[in-house]
Amino acid sequence: MAERKPKVIGFCCEKHGMDAAVLSARSGKQFDASVRLVQVPCTGRVDGIHILKALEDGADSVFVLGCLEKNCYYDTGSIEGRKRVEYVKQMLSEVGIEKERVEMFNAASTNAWAFPEIVSKMVGVAKKLGPIGGEKQ
Amino acid sequence: MIVAKRKPLNEIVEMLAPYKKVTVIGCRSCVAICLAGGEKEVKMLVSALKVKNRKEGRKQELDGLVVERQCEKEWVKEVEDKVLDSDITLSMACSLGAQTIGDMYPSHLTFPGLNTGIFGVPEEQGVWSEKCVGCGNCIIHTTGGICPISRCAKSMLNGPCGGSANRKCEVNLEIDCAWAAIYDRLKIQNRLDLIEKIMPAKDWSTSHAGGRRVYVREDAKLTPHQKKGKEAVQ
Amino acid sequence: MKARIQVVLCKCCTEMPKLLNMEKLQKLAEDSSMVVSVMTVDAVCDGKDLARIVGEAKEREIDRAVVLACHKKDISPNLLKAYRRAGINEFLIELVNMREEVVLPHADEPERAQAKAETKLKAALTRAIMLAPLEKQSEEMKTKNVVIVGAGVAGQAAAHEAAKSGAHTVLLEKTSKSLKVPGVIMTHAQLVGASGYGGNFQLKIKAGEKVEELGAAAVVIATGGGWTTLKGPLAKAVKDAVPLYKFYEHMQSGMVPKGPVVIVDTPDPAGKTMKVQDYAWDDTLETVIQLKKKHPELLVYVIFQEMRAFGLSELAYKEAADLGVRFIRYDKAGAPKIDAKNPIALTVKDFSQGEVLDLKFGTLVFASIPANQDNQMIADALRIPMTVDGSIRRGSIQRWPVTTPKPGIFVCGSALFPKSRELAKAEGEAAGTMAGQFVKRGMIEYGGSVAQVTPEKCSACLTCIRTCPYEAPFIGAANKAEIKVQACQGCGMCVGICPSKAIDLHHYTDDQVMEEARTLLGGDF
Repeated sequence: MAERKPKVIGFCCEKHGMDAAVLSARSGKQFDASVRLVQVPCTGRVDGIHILKALEDGADSVFVLGCLEKNCYYDTGSIEGRKRVEYVKQMLSEVGIEKERVEMFNAASTNAWAFPEIVSKMVGVAKKLGPIGGEKQ
Repeated sequence: MIVAKRKPLNEIVEMLAPYKKVTVIGCRSCVAICLAGGEKEVKMLVSALKVKNRKEGRKQELDGLVVERQCEKEWVKEVEDKVLDSDITLSMACSLGAQTIGDMYPSHLTFPGLNTGIFGVPEEQGVWSEKCVGCGNCIIHTTGGICPISRCAKSMLNGPCGGSANRKCEVNLEIDCAWAAIYDRLKIQNRLDLIEKIMPAKDWSTSHAGGRRVYVREDAKLTPHQKKGKEAVQ
Repeated sequence: MKARIQVVLCKCCTEMPKLLNMEKLQKLAEDSSMVVSVMTVDAVCDGKDLARIVGEAKEREIDRAVVLACHKKDISPNLLKAYRRAGINEFLIELVNMREEVVLPHADEPERAQAKAETKLKAALTRAIMLAPLEKQSEEMKTKNVVIVGAGVAGQAAAHEAAKSGAHTVLLEKTSKSLKVPGVIMTHAQLVGASGYGGNFQLKIKAGEKVEELGAAAVVIATGGGWTTLKGPLAKAVKDAVPLYKFYEHMQSGMVPKGPVVIVDTPDPAGKTMKVQDYAWDDTLETVIQLKKKHPELLVYVIFQEMRAFGLSELAYKEAADLGVRFIRYDKAGAPKIDAKNPIALTVKDFSQGEVLDLKFGTLVFASIPANQDNQMIADALRIPMTVDGSIRRGSIQRWPVTTPKPGIFVCGSALFPKSRELAKAEGEAAGTMAGQFVKRGMIEYGGSVAQVTPEKCSACLTCIRTCPYEAPFIGAANKAEIKVQACQGCGMCVGICPSKAIDLHHYTDDQVMEEARTLLGGDF
């Protein structure tokens, strides 16, 4: 049976988050195909429910990628995004699930290196910790 | 309003472990406002429990919903099917809601998902501080609008204790001395003479110390003539 | 629900077929029951292909489209325009970035890339079916007024520029100074209240004793720095200490200062938040050079924590030093102190030498200024954020440098942070130009992907109101939250935070976001 590849999903903001991902690809950077991206207008839109549902739906690790906090296009959106992620991490640690599976990142749209590093980190987490509940889905 | 907070999730997981079908019921009133048991918290809790169950390989059905105000029978009745259809109900309302469900369906298990709590005021978004303990006899008109029963750690009635220093409480250095605040307030109001008035020892019979309290409005009660169905029969 | 979807596969000239099996993707699209048209084109960004797409769309009577191409920001304006000609609402077009999310970054893994591409197509179809048409609306700006708070250097510059775009400028000046500026100047006037949104503000202005109401399309904050309020222990100790600009004025008018002249960077050297900006250095250096040239015998000291004379200003620093100005650096541990009971000397530990110096002074000058006290009133009136040291906080620097987070409210000059007259004038010009251009549009466009409250679910907890930077949510007539659509920027912060899930964001609803995630996670690659 083919080995199950890691499942990583990222909620990226439409502004700097997605732009950073696009720029890295256009700069010729390669990153692991395991990553799926869902676009949101702002990481402030991300609800803890989205992150937890993603874990329910089979994600091994989830990240949220937004603008740098001092330069969020919507002023305070990535601050809100960070607070949502931290709350979910707290919940996960209370139920005994590794909180490293969920992470918040910030990047500038002009940074071509950030996105592949983020993917690499979260794929690493997914590979190290494996699917939640072992191989059975 | 009533402010509660969610029990640690590991406690909830342990509470619910033996049961196969769980219904989580939140409330749209106080606990939604203090971000403990509204629809969002209910959905997040259900999701987190499902993920945990997958990790443990535990088979458990989980469903989440909210009612308008869980301490009112009429609203709980609306979700009766969901309650009775489950092995156990986890209430994400304050204990009043949890107990209402329990009283309505005594043979059904209803467990509390929150720890209630305080009568709290939002000092700022996300911070609720206790300003009333429900002593039943409000005297804040004599203390410049600041309650010494709730805000003084010793519930002093006649000025600060000897341990008050730098406007802070000796029992808990993080909180302000209530009597320092009362003094400042009465000064602004030009009513410092009130400080010199001696308050007699408090009659605690109006507070919880006098036993479970029941507040009644006789004119609001329905006479047997008005009650519907079998409620009229004693 | 039933949909008639057109799927367009863009080859991106030749890039896509190099890695992906276009026929398999085509087949996958055709297999969906909701898809009535599948097209493969060379380049969606090419006008010819767009014309073909529109023709086919009209013929097949599609009601929405999924386009697999590249980054939406590059192709969407033309694509959406094209589809509009076919009668398709712009919010029913789902653009999938195959190029930058699959083809470019997974060049060495064609199998995984193919599986990923197929999953993305599935997710896009799922999302497309869930989309709803949305209409943007426009509202006329009721006035062409640009209200400029503060008629100083920045304010006047803003007025001149804004007027060039045809705006009617109204300057609010709290003193009685009279000036020649375009538009109207109201003296003894202060902004005390505001409601509305960018394009249609309703302002409350206190002019003398009366409070007037005035409509405005845009507001420019140019309140300047706290020129007259020197706060801090050094200012307290020395009653006749002067801010730098005043010292400069005295010097220009011919007054001979009583030596030695000691210039300290801030009256609050041990303070946490007192900003000492570049202005302080450029202007200080200019001042001391002139001073030394006029009165070479005067002892002049400049006491600073951080000298920021960069670029050509470094030459000024050198010139000042050559002219005999003594520069003394300190750190917080050896911050300057003055004995309030005997304020004739300043004690400071020279950071470079380690010696504690006792400097007698005849004139004490402060190089930097605190924030203007009026900023608090303005920020309260307009409900915009402030920095911890009392300046007006600006919005995302990338969006525009001279704006606050709220659209239609601009800020310039020392209201942002202390700066030199030249810089303040330049910022005033920038803000005035932006305000003028904003007002010139005459309309505000809003709607589309905005938030909406389901009143029955709202707990009136006020969380959305406290969170939104744009003041879009408010408590409406039914004592439940409502969204002022004209102010809503569509970020969804209120949606993500609502504890009762009473708010949803059109075009990014919870269901849409979670279904897309679920479908993507369902793919095996």
